[in-house]
Amino acid sequence: MRTATRFLVLVPAVALLTGCVANRVREAPILVNGERVKNTDSLVAAVGARGDVDRARLEARRDSLNQVAMSTCNGAVCAALARGEVVLGMNTAQVMVATKTTPEAWSLRAAGPATIMTPRTLARAPRDGTGELAMVQLQNGGVSTYAYRERQGLRVVAVAEDTTTAARNRVLGDRLEREGDDFLSAGDRAQALDRFDRALLLKPSDPGLEYKVAALLDLQLRPVEALMRYQRFLQQLELERIDARGEANAKLTEAVVRAQQRIIVLRRETEGAAPEPPAEDIRD
Amino acid sequence: MTPFIVRGFQMSLAGRLSLPRAGRLALLAIVAASAAACAPAKRVSRIDPNAVTDLSGKWNDADSRLVANALIEQSLTGAWQKRFTASHGGKNPTVMIGSFRNKSMELIPIQTFTRDLERAFINSAQVSVVASKEEREEIRAERADQQNNAAADTRARQAMEAGANYMLQGDVQSIEDSEGREKIIYYQIDATLIDLESGQKVWVGQHRIKKYIERRRLGME
Repeated sequence: MRTATRFLVLVPAVALLTGCVANRVREAPILVNGERVKNTDSLVAAVGARGDVDRARLEARRDSLNQVAMSTCNGAVCAALARGEVVLGMNTAQVMVATKTTPEAWSLRAAGPATIMTPRTLARAPRDGTGELAMVQLQNGGVSTYAYRERQGLRVVAVAEDTTTAARNRVLGDRLEREGDDFLSAGDRAQALDRFDRALLLKPSDPGLEYKVAALLDLQLRPVEALMRYQRFLQQLELERIDARGEANAKLTEAVVRAQQRIIVLRRETEGAAPEPPAEDIRD
Repeated sequence: MTPFIVRGFQMSLAGRLSLPRAGRLALLAIVAASAAACAPAKRVSRIDPNAVTDLSGKWNDADSRLVANALIEQSLTGAWQKRFTASHGGKNPTVMIGSFRNKSMELIPIQTFTRDLERAFINSAQVSVVASKEEREEIRAERADQQNNAAADTRARQAMEAGANYMLQGDVQSIEDSEGREKIIYYQIDATLIDLESGQKVWVGQHRIKKYIERRRLGME
């Protein structure tokens, strides 16, 4: 056979052979039988040793802060330090001791006599016995205002009364009521009722809130509950001895009249008459 | 002398046995078979637990250890732990091992590597670990029992458990690809530490394993 003919036969043969060969994976193995998987015990020990050094450093700082805080505290501040709570009048060292933190957890900015301490990271902000702190403001070296980050937003403490449970409840209740108003204006009555109900737990003697709940229940065609709420609203007004005089009562006069009307209607309905929906306006 | 002929072999009158070639082979086979039968049916030996021993190509102890090593290294050298310690005056973060799901088609024992990770956290003394949900059930039952039956000064107090800051969750997923005698299995193991309060993911660890399995034309699988 001549060379050209042989070449012509060889080329298709090679092509055919190549086509028959499967797509083989040609990667060098990185771990094969007989080799060993490395042990991480030494790494764990090294991390532990490094961590111990860091912790010792932080503990030394906390010790020195404790020393400063305790040597400069007076009665109320010392008691708050023992409870682990920030109070008005504390200095920066005392704030850190009350929150069990070191300067690494805070970002300090000073401008003249004022200093503002904010958490370095909001993901894990320092917290005292009451809650998570969002900001601490110091005036002339003593805490003048501080704020907690709570579910309904920031709660600012600027006077001693703000630290009481009643004051906290009032602030949180107001926030919930505002949220309820927002839902109501957006047409979401169920969410609005939920917020007003929760606010009522925090502000149980707020007749305006009671009236809003009663009116919402009335709109949702829940006459028995609405009746009870209207009655409680009027009872609260009586208890507070708000008569038809004064600015506060002027605001509520219309609500009182409407509540009395609805009580009559709802009583009739609960006794078997056909339901009569109330007017949409529930403002007190 | 006329040989005494028995089927398959010849024996001379003098008693000498002379086997034909086929007969000798048959005898040899019988001897070999009986020798094999007398030998022990299995051989057991202790080997290094760190040794890689791939037999079928499926998930095995070496894979589990590789995953554990990778997750230990990534989690202990990550910044999340240092950040927490720094912002909490030296306090260790507390971790709880949550659900780690096997979403692959193989039977993969998850706890072999989650236990390794737990052990590394505790041994490093940089991360505290609290009992998982299942473990806590048993502990709580025992604590409740102590309130009625143990002496007052030896009772474990109620409602004094340490709350976890983070929960470790994760999953194992696999992808298979095969053609003829070749097969590729890819495993991806993802682990996440989630802040229990904010729901933020503070650390994500990942390890990937890719196996190439080739079956020979001749030979046992």
